[in-house]
Amino acid sequence: MSIKPFVTTVGLALSILLPAQPHAHHAFGAEFDAQAPLTLRGSVVRIEWVNPHAWFHIEVINSDGVAELWRIEGGTPNTLLRRGINKRSIAIGTEIIVDGYHAKDRSNSANGRNITLASGEKMFMGSSGTGAPKDGADPGR
Amino acid sequence: MIRTRLSLALLLFTLIGCSPSEQAPGQSQTSQSQPGQAASSPFKLSGDTKHIMQWVLDPAADHIWDSAGSIITAAGTRELAPTTEEGWLSVQYGAAVVAATGNLLMMPGRAVDDKDWQKTSQALVDAGLLAQSAAKAHDADALFDAGSQIYRICKACHSAYIQGEKAEGSP
Repeated sequence: MSIKPFVTTVGLALSILLPAQPHAHHAFGAEFDAQAPLTLRGSVVRIEWVNPHAWFHIEVINSDGVAELWRIEGGTPNTLLRRGINKRSIAIGTEIIVDGYHAKDRSNSANGRNITLASGEKMFMGSSGTGAPKDGADPGR
Repeated sequence: MIRTRLSLALLLFTLIGCSPSEQAPGQSQTSQSQPGQAASSPFKLSGDTKHIMQWVLDPAADHIWDSAGSIITAAGTRELAPTTEEGWLSVQYGAAVVAATGNLLMMPGRAVDDKDWQKTSQALVDAGLLAQSAAKAHDADALFDAGSQIYRICKACHSAYIQGEKAEGSP
């Protein structure tokens, strides 16, 4: 058994075992670093379609070939719906690229800005609505 | 836990001088008190707005938000809505606290102005009552929508009144 299927299985198991809603409401500035943009590529393993923010959990294979679970904060479900994203828009297992901002504590947590699918389609995650910095790319600006 | 929530809800209703049966869902009563009347008001403030947010509104709103929505994994979709009468009743208590908090925010000495502050607080009352009705009807979709409305009100108020933080303010 190669390492990748193993870590994938472990990652999926962990995603299922995670508590239902472990993320208290917070402001962008309280948890995320506007000076620490990042880009992550990984497979979606868990979607929390909840208020006040939706969360997308992805499994990222790092440079050592080890799977890491990252949790990405999106906007409110209403914001995402207005941008054309519903809870079924991205299937579990879909590989996505996330542009966002790293957590201040440098945990595997980020505020999502955009999701890019393999087809090149880009989806705005509504992160500005949580207080994330605006860079001119926000829809409607 | 539920007894604690019920006690808190009853305490809040007592504080603001109304009972759940006196106010129909979707309606809010307009306070006749003015922000500047704190000195002559019979109300005795038991905490500032920050305390109301952290100790009263936040836990109640979190309970509503945690009780509606979906968790999707490879194993399937799990709905967060309560599955028992006790669970729905617990959400009703949380919603009652949210509604009552809107009135607490309008109390003389706590209200910041007579205009937008009062409107936003009344909107919070309405949103709490919507959540209360949704929980009473065991309507998960309506509860989810009411939760969205509660957050929109929180965010609008923070944007308007938390100086220097704008949209970054947290309840």
